[in-house]
Amino acid sequence: MVQLSGIANATIRAEIEEFLERPEEIERNVELFSRASPAMQDIAAALIEGDAQTVDRLTAEALADGVHALEIMDDGLIAGMGIVGIKFREGYVFVPEVLVSARAMKAGMAHIEPILAASGVEPIGKVIMGTVQGDLHDIGKNLCIMMLRGGGFTVIDLGVNTSPDEFLAAVKDSEARLVGMSALLTTTMPNMARTVEAFKDAGLRDQVWFMVGGAPVTPEFGEEVGADGYGKDALACVALAKQLSLRVRG
Amino acid sequence: MTGENYHRLNGEWMTPRRRFLSALYGGRVDKVPAMTLSSVITLEAMEIADAAFPEAHLDAEKMARLAATAHENLGLDTIMPVFHSQLEADALDAATWWGTKDNWPAVSDHVLTDPDDFKVPSDYLERRSFKAVLGAIRLLRKRYPDVGIVGKVYGAWSVGFHMVGIENFLIDTILDPDKIHRYLEALLPASLASAHAQLEAGADAIMWCDHANRELVSPETYRDFLLEMHQEIQAEIGGPSILHCCGETTDRIEYFAEAGWDCFHFESQVDPVKAKEIARDRLSLFGNINNPTTLFSGTYEDCYEACMTVLNSGVQGVAPEGSVPLGTKMEVLAALADSARDYSNAHRPGGRFVAHDPPAANGDG
Repeated sequence: MVQLSGIANATIRAEIEEFLERPEEIERNVELFSRASPAMQDIAAALIEGDAQTVDRLTAEALADGVHALEIMDDGLIAGMGIVGIKFREGYVFVPEVLVSARAMKAGMAHIEPILAASGVEPIGKVIMGTVQGDLHDIGKNLCIMMLRGGGFTVIDLGVNTSPDEFLAAVKDSEARLVGMSALLTTTMPNMARTVEAFKDAGLRDQVWFMVGGAPVTPEFGEEVGADGYGKDALACVALAKQLSLRVRG
Repeated sequence: MTGENYHRLNGEWMTPRRRFLSALYGGRVDKVPAMTLSSVITLEAMEIADAAFPEAHLDAEKMARLAATAHENLGLDTIMPVFHSQLEADALDAATWWGTKDNWPAVSDHVLTDPDDFKVPSDYLERRSFKAVLGAIRLLRKRYPDVGIVGKVYGAWSVGFHMVGIENFLIDTILDPDKIHRYLEALLPASLASAHAQLEAGADAIMWCDHANRELVSPETYRDFLLEMHQEIQAEIGGPSILHCCGETTDRIEYFAEAGWDCFHFESQVDPVKAKEIARDRLSLFGNINNPTTLFSGTYEDCYEACMTVLNSGVQGVAPEGSVPLGTKMEVLAALADSARDYSNAHRPGGRFVAHDPPAANGDG
């Protein structure tokens, strides 16, 4: 069995020791970081600390050293963000800390994305994401988008205040089958139901899978509005998208 | 109180206004108040009042008529005319999307990147959003002298979200905390001016909204950025103060009590029993009927039952947790006042909320 001592980076070791509680998550992360090179561990550690400049520099250096873009994304950026996501879920850090790490991830992805796009790596799915009509809050949606892209999805971001018609048009234009709707306000949550209804009226409901999320949204509310799944946070959103994309393919 | 007045109040010995204010301070009441602190406006209410969104946001008469449905049609003890959250930001030049009949207004563009660039405009209180709100409060005060009128203010923290953008603002709590302190200091006069103007226009109390909830920030963030400021402004607000903070706040109610708020309006994520345990008699509690599940999707019975549960926890008043979705049915909202009445009757006389027997109807009491 791989040991924590097998991880070279002291920050990563401390993060796992201090903040991870679920045995399966400890095991997965110890295994992941043990096989990751010290350079990747350093990128992950800088990302966890929200140090965008260091992530930017280390990513550029790793690419220059010949490390594959996918390895940097998986073993450095996404691995680091995975720890941040767990800390957020468990209440050790809050939105500001996640945003700072997300900014660091973005700095790294700015190097990685053009390379991946040019190399023709196939996305595992295509997701349309938008904050529902009347709601201009996009932090949660943007975190989900970043994690989805990091998770291998192509994301079409419809932004905020997205009307049912805009969701419909995006599905028609892109042929994406996963639609994520976000709402922060209890006053705008009903617009999730309106969007689902609009798809029913257009005869397209059976062709898409709806994911819902947002601070006041609950799994029960998601079920009530006719969504196919609910994600509590950005990590759960990626897991749900992966699960639903299997059904799409099936 | 004379017997005649007692009959005028339909068997109750307090006016809604007196009841609301007494409960706000944790005092004696004839029955538990059922209130609107955030908006209870619905599409149905717009039809009844012949006053609809978005016009009602910038028209004092329509705003007053629409707000009054809370008392006239739902039997609530308060009226709260500031339906939206753009009052201060719009007057400070943040771009506002005023929404549609069935959608809420929102800030559509953020205008501030440096606290040193900010200055409260000299005609701040004469701008369109204030003209409507202050005009509506004056009308309501005149028309409803016996009903509690609640003013609503966005505090410096939440105005900061609107002016700077929530993402940039939150990131700087980590990367540049000094800048956030300077934003708060710069924006506070705008919030205080809003509170003073609403009180002067006739509001009985100010609900002060600063959204430092667990879904966004840690309790330590509230402590480090807002606690001292909130303590300092208690004497400056100029009237009874109700703090509103969305979402899960259990882990910071202690700080809210330390800040000296008279009352806390809390949301459904907070267990009212736990909130009461923390607040004790230092902070009154109004809340916390769930919007999406209970009020929007639920029935009259669901709402009634939820109200009874929260009333049993010993809070000082019952109210929706926040602004209700516009498609909420008024027949469901009617359970707020009905449950408060029935709960109080069940505890009469000598119950927790009923400190006096009603005076005798013949005027001897």
